[in-house]
Formats: sequence, structure tokens, C-alpha cells
Amino acid sequence: MKKKNLLILLIALLCMATLFAQAAAETKAGPRIVTFWSLFTGGDGEFFDAIIDEFNKTHTDIQLKNDTVKFDDYYTKLTAALAAGNAPDMIVCHQGNLLNYVPSGQLLALDDYLKANNFPVDDFVAAPYNACKFDGKQYAIPLDVHPIIMYVNMDLLAKAGIKDIPQTMDQLIADGIKVQEKTGKMGIDIDNTTAVYKAYTLTRLFFSFIYQQGGTFLTADNKAANFNNQYGYKALQALQDMVQKYKTTPAGLDYDTAMNEFKLGDAAFYFNGVWATGTLEQQKDLNFVAIPVPGFMGKPAAWSGSHTLAIPAKANIDPAHVADILTAIDFITGHGEMWAKAGHVPTRISVQNSKAFADLPYRKGYADSAASAVAPPTTAAWDEIYGTCSDLLEYAVVNNQPIQEALNQMEATVNKIIATY
Amino acid sequence: MNNTSKTRKTVGIVLLSILLLIWFFPFVWMVFTSLKIENEVVTKTFHFFPQNPTLTNYIKAFSSSKILRWMLNSAFTSAMAMILTIAVDAPIAYAFAKIRFKGRNILFWAVMAGMMVPFQVLIIPLYLQFNSYGLINHMAAVYLPRVALPIGIFIMRQFFEGIPDALEEAAFIDGASRFKTFFEVILPLGKTAFATVIILSFINCWNDFLWPLVVMNDTDKYTITVGIANFQGTHGTQYSLIMSGAVIACIPQFIFYLFFRKKIIAGIAMTGIKG
Amino acid sequence: MIPGNKDNRDGWLFSLPFLLVFILFMLYPLVHGLVISFFKWNILSDKVFIGLENYKNIFSDEKFYTSLWHTVEFVLITTPVLLVLGFIMALITTSKSPLKKAAENVFFIPYIFSMTVVSTLWAWIFQKQYGILNHVIGMFGIQPVGWLTDPKWAMWSVCIATFWWTAGFNMILMSAGIKQISSEIFESAEIDGANYRQCVFRITIPLLKPTIVLCLILQIIASFNVFGQVYVMTGGGPFGKTRTLIQYIYETGFSYFKMGYSAAMSYILFFIIMIVSVVQYISLGRRSDE
Repeated sequence: MKKKNLLILLIALLCMATLFAQAAAETKAGPRIVTFWSLFTGGDGEFFDAIIDEFNKTHTDIQLKNDTVKFDDYYTKLTAALAAGNAPDMIVCHQGNLLNYVPSGQLLALDDYLKANNFPVDDFVAAPYNACKFDGKQYAIPLDVHPIIMYVNMDLLAKAGIKDIPQTMDQLIADGIKVQEKTGKMGIDIDNTTAVYKAYTLTRLFFSFIYQQGGTFLTADNKAANFNNQYGYKALQALQDMVQKYKTTPAGLDYDTAMNEFKLGDAAFYFNGVWATGTLEQQKDLNFVAIPVPGFMGKPAAWSGSHTLAIPAKANIDPAHVADILTAIDFITGHGEMWAKAGHVPTRISVQNSKAFADLPYRKGYADSAASAVAPPTTAAWDEIYGTCSDLLEYAVVNNQPIQEALNQMEATVNKIIATY
Repeated sequence: MNNTSKTRKTVGIVLLSILLLIWFFPFVWMVFTSLKIENEVVTKTFHFFPQNPTLTNYIKAFSSSKILRWMLNSAFTSAMAMILTIAVDAPIAYAFAKIRFKGRNILFWAVMAGMMVPFQVLIIPLYLQFNSYGLINHMAAVYLPRVALPIGIFIMRQFFEGIPDALEEAAFIDGASRFKTFFEVILPLGKTAFATVIILSFINCWNDFLWPLVVMNDTDKYTITVGIANFQGTHGTQYSLIMSGAVIACIPQFIFYLFFRKKIIAGIAMTGIKG
Repeated sequence: MIPGNKDNRDGWLFSLPFLLVFILFMLYPLVHGLVISFFKWNILSDKVFIGLENYKNIFSDEKFYTSLWHTVEFVLITTPVLLVLGFIMALITTSKSPLKKAAENVFFIPYIFSMTVVSTLWAWIFQKQYGILNHVIGMFGIQPVGWLTDPKWAMWSVCIATFWWTAGFNMILMSAGIKQISSEIFESAEIDGANYRQCVFRITIPLLKPTIVLCLILQIIASFNVFGQVYVMTGGGPFGKTRTLIQYIYETGFSYFKMGYSAAMSYILFFIIMIVSVVQYISLGRRSDE
């Protein structure tokens, strides 16, 4: 009796095996497929998938096949695939990560193809477009720019009797204290502890404040730390004081809680990327504005990332296929107003000027912030520097570490890291 | 004397029940969270029970992702892992338990050492290896590395050691070859151990995350653990949705466990052979 | 043992299927990984031979030591607790209690959940602002605790989630071992007037020794390899205070693409685990084999 059951099970498995084998064989006839990988999950993923669906609906000759990988694991998988020659036709890649793939020739230099296909190069905002150039060659097309911005709860401000948005650090602190005294809600909502997500906001603001004062994070050749000076001191001091001295920000605040506190109307000033806009907009009765980060410490400057679309280089790549991929890129970037719904800033001038984009609340303001956006330094060591500094900054802010000691430690660590690349 | 032992028994049962309820609670909480809308989950006013229990998260999970397909993929790969593991582990476990052969100890230690290897070391070399076999994005790539399950060998060896030599000797005297003895005498007795190893191997393969993630490219071919990881947003956590994905992912395992549980109990009850 | 049968041949023949899979999918990549550890390699470019430099750098790497310490911390906390928990659970499920079947199910079921499920579930329970645990202690007037964001609690919280998740596995192994103890021994002990505690300490534990040693060794190996639940629940935070060695190995290899360095660290870890297991086995295991 048992043997019969085993036999049935084996046969069932064999059938399933053939089923899966069949699924692997793809139809040769029909539309040309462009495969690509993206890292947009959750809310972002929904908006992005909508663009892909729109493309597939409106094109009969080309179809896009998208596979999503969670952000945490995306680059692991991508790198392994590139090393083995298994990469898809097109990939989403953060501008900051492009440098991991360009020197080894993993990405296709696009210049000739762009010319051959009359790609609307001039329709792109210069700064993000040029950020995808290395050694004078174009290796990716920017999809969006996503800077850090400031969200303000107008109701809480009204309750606290504050009429204007603070423009200097002193004003910001004072307003934060006022909100807390008058309403009992959190003054300045900046996450400072890693939980499910790393508390990158702290690092991003530290970064931004240095640039606002006219400094830079690394030296011009990216070979050494450049923040152990009065700029870094002032920036870290301000962030630490918010938690320790003025108590406008609680310690132990993680990313999710920071977002949710503002979402539920319990925080006055919230700092995060433009991407939070989509989620916050869905919150009924949350009366907020979203503006570029004011130049609290000097001229306006804010950390910004950028998602780009790139084409993995493959031996004997077919120019016709590249043309298809560029068609897809053209479409996706050309429909930036759909992507803007997630909060990201589109990179095409025509989109920024379009009515559809202008109709979205706040987005026009974001587009302006792109002008003061600061991209992370282009160095392969950046991921490790960024992650390590995040830990050190968290520690310094939450544990009231003496500022100079913290800066010395960070500088030594960063320089050590750079030396290993 | 009787009364105190009765009250002691009742107290014992009450305490145990409380412990069990607390132990089971996280699972209950997972289900409750999945039945709430996100605004009810992240809120200032805490609600234990879902105020308006809703299936929106589940509907979203099923409609916006290929969750059924993923479950099928997981079922297939885990079943294959399970079968191949038994096929491969049982003979060597028997050899360790019953056959005195040269190099046995060294081999045993080598197997043991295999368990200590952090899997992260193997991922890139394995990936390159599978790529050279042309197996990337094929189902076999998911379960093949999981087939060698050293702990399965331990469990079965322990069990086989408990089987008295007398049984084998009887078979040998009757003229059976070692091979035949293994198949017809030893294996049928191994039901208990098999059930345990089968469950472990199934769970091991089902819950595998990093390897299937790296090795499978098409979303269609994801296993369920990889698929539901994508419920975690790029820029924010939606607890209710993630919990619903978690519940869905657990259900097949639940069913599988309940089915095999009976076999374990039956197997244990049947073991009347004592040394 | 048996006249006419070739023990050596049979022994190796029976081991062959396993060995094939083992060599192909474990040994070969393992050796490949070892080779990589002598190079500087970022996967995409060519390998650069640097000999023992990766290993030298490890010894001056502060992050390596702190990560190793966090892993050791985890091992020291979870190993004894999981053994004791597993044993107590096994006692419950092999007792005469009417709840023993329910107990067996409740204790084991968490083990079938995947790491992602368990970690996200407990991260949700431990969530400082909206999680249920702080709500419950709030009812007793206690201030919300940063279970995962306070360095005092973070490692313990991850350990608690781990206890819930894997104690059931030890329970299964130990209860199988307990069931193999002949009931006659217990019966004669009862006749001699032994109470429950004496039975457990004088009979059960000594006779269970081989299983306990097996559990101990397996548990230590598993704990040294801890990665997933810490990574998902705390991200290695707060400020890197729970980062385990495997997480550091993983990040070095897969986020920063320093494959050679990552491989070197994994081999050191492998070495440590091996030494610990061998020492354990020699001091505990052999004695109980008689």
C-alpha cells in the first residue's frame, strides 16, 4: 500500500517537473520581449507597475517583462547575474551604484545608440543626466531625482501660533520647542536609530548641512574625509542638540515610527525623501506642505539620490534590440508624471512642464529642489562609507558623544575604508 | 494525599494552558493584524480585535502578486528536496550505524563539518557553478544544494543504531545481501526517523530565502519566501499586508505538518523493539 | 562481522549518493571559496592575488571583532536557554498531562515558519510605538521600551524571538530520546519511592545524555551561523550593536563586493565553529558513547 502511494507521488512529481520544463520554453513568435529588473516594492512598486502596464497596453510590437527584487537584495542578485552573464536587458540602478559596474565594462555605453535612435537627449534636465556620464560617456538615463525635503504639519503650526516656515536653524529649533510646549506633539521628526530600515535620514541631513555651509563630505578626489572641520562640527552639533539639549526629537526614533508619527499628525517638522509624499497624501485629514529643505545653515542644499535606467553590456548585442530598450526607456521617462505620483521628481523637462505634473500637489516645488540637490560622491567606497557613517552618527546623536571625538572617529574610519578600495 | 495531588494537577493544567496560550499568541496576533486595514494597525488608539475585519490584504496579496504560483513552486521544490534527501541520507546513515568500514570516522567528521559551513560562503561559488551547468533560473537549482542534509544523517544514524543487530544477522543468515537487507528489513523500520527527516528537509527547503532569490530570475519562478519578501516596501512598511503574506506562506506548511504528524505518532507507537 | 560480506566496499557504496551531492554542492564551492579568500575580487573584475593579506587585515579590523563578539553573545544567551527550554517542553510532551498533544503542536509549529515570517512578526510585536508588547506593559503603567532600538534590549529581543521560533526543534529531538527510555526503569524507580524531580535528574537526564550532546553541538553551530533574524529585526542596529559576524560577512561580500575579504572572514568563522564543536564532542561526546 505504501509503495503504491510512493509511486503515485513520484508520477505526480514527474508531471509537475514536465510542467515546469514547458513553462521555461518561450514562444518565439509574437512581440519582442524586453526583460528588466527593478527594485521598487510596496507603494513605489504599484506606481511603477502602472507605467509598465501602460506601456504593454499601448505597444503591440514590444512587451516589457519586469521582475522585482526587494531593494536590500537587489544589488547582490544583480551583481551575481552580471558576473555570470545572466543579466536582463534593462536594469534600474541608483546613480550612486553605477560606479560599481562601469569600470568593469558591465554597462553599455549609450552615446552611439542614443544618436542612432534620435533619443530625446535634450529633453532631460542637465544635472541628473550628466551625473550618469563617466569618462565622457553616457552609461545610464536618469528616471528620477529624489531629494530629501521637509514636510510640515500646518495644523500643528497653527495651533502653536507659528505663522512662517522656519528658514534658519535657530528658527527651526525655536519652532520645534514651541510646538512641543503648546501642543505636546513632537517638534522635529528625524529618525536616528536603525530598526527595520537604517536611519539614513540622519546621515542625509548631516551631509546636506555640510554642503549648505559650503563644505563637501569627501575631498575633491574622493580619497579622504572632508567633514572633520567647522562644517561637520556645526552640522553634528545641531543634530545632536535636537535630541539631547532641546529635546525636540526623541532618541531611539526609527524610520517607520518617524514616518508614522508624522502621518498620524503627531509631529510638526518631518524630514524624509520625496518618496514619502505618496503615502502621506493618502492620509485623510493630514494638512501638510512639502517643501525643499530650507538653507538652515547657509544656501539651500539637500542630499539627493537618483534612479537610473541602464543597459547591461552583452557580447554581440543586437542594435535593433537596443533600439527596443531605448523605446521603453523613452516611454518610462516620458511618463514621469505617473512616476511622480510616488513623489519622485521626473527628469524630463517636457514632463516637468506638463499640466499633469503641475496638477499634482507639491510636485512643482520638488522640481525646484532638484536645482539644489547634491548627489553623493562618485566612489566605489560610498556604500560602505554611507552605511558605516550612519552607525557612527546614530551613536553620536543618541549617546551624546562629544562632537570632536565623534568626528575624529568618523574621519579615521572613513579614511580606513577608502584605503581598502 | 489525594486532594493535594489533584489540586497540584489542576494548577499544573491551568499554568500549562496559560503558557500555551501565551506561546501561541504571536500567531494569533499575526492573523489579527492581517485582517485589519493599515490605518487600524498603525494608530494611536490600540485595538486588539479587528474592528472591521477585512480581507483586503489577502485580496491584494492574491491579485497583485503571483502568490499561488509561488506556493506551487515552493511545494514542488520542497517535495523534490525531501525525496532526494531521504534517498541520499538514508544509505549513508545506515553505513555509519551498521557497517564498520575503513575511513568511517573521518567521513563522519567531514559530514559533520559540512554543517558548520556558513552558507554565505558558498553562494557566489555555487552560483557561478550552477551558471556553468546552465541551471540558473531552473527549478532544480533551488533544491539541489539542499539535498545533502547532514542533520538528516544524524537523526537516521541514531535511529538505525537503535535497531538490534539481531534482525540483520537473521536476514544475512537467510542469505540476503546487505543491499536487500537494507531495503527490506531496515528501511521499513525507519518510519519514525523518516518522518522527522522529511519534515526537516521540507521545512529547510521551503524556508530557504537567499539562495532561491539569487538563483531564480523570473518572478514566476520565485518560491514563496522570496515572493512575499517583496511585500516589504522600498520606502515603508505596511504591517497588515506583510502579515497577510506571512499567513498565506504558512498555510501549506501547516497542512503538511498536520498530515505528517499522524505518521510520526503512529511510527513512534509502533516502535516496540527495545534493546 | 558477517562472513563473506565486504564491509569496506559496502560502506563506501552506501555513502556514495550522499558523497556525490556533498562533493558537488558543498565541498567544491567551499574550496572555491577558500581560493577566493586569497584574492582581491569584486566579482566583476579580474581576481588579484594578494596571498594572506585579507587574513592579515581581518586581525586589525575592529568591526570584525565587534561582530564576532555579538555572535558569541548570541551563542552564549541562546544555547543554554534553548537546551533547557527544549528539555522542559520535551518533559511536558512526554508526561501524562491531558494537554501534552496540544503542547507539542503549539511548541513546534513556530519552527515551520520561515525566518522572514518570524522576524517580521516579532519586529511588529516589539515595535516601540505601535507594537502590542509595549501596549500591554503600558497597561501596567510601564513606559514604552525600545525593544529593538535600545542597545540594552535589542539582542535580548532577538533572542526571545529565536526561542519562540526554534525551541520546538530541540523539543522534538529530546522527546524522541526520552521516549526511547524504557518505561520499566521509571516504574521500578517509582516503586523505590523516587519522586518526580529525582526521576528527572537521576534517570532522564543521564540517559538522555547522547541526545543532549547532539542538541548542544547542533545548537551551537546554528547559533554561530545566526544572521537572518537579527538582520531583519534590527538591521544590525542600534548603531551596529547587534551586527553579527555573518551579517558583516554578508555585507562585505554582497553590498561592498569585497569577495576575497568576505570569504576570508567566513573561513575564520568556520574554523572557530569547528574548534568549538570538536572540543565539545571530545569532552562530552565520547564519554557518553560507552
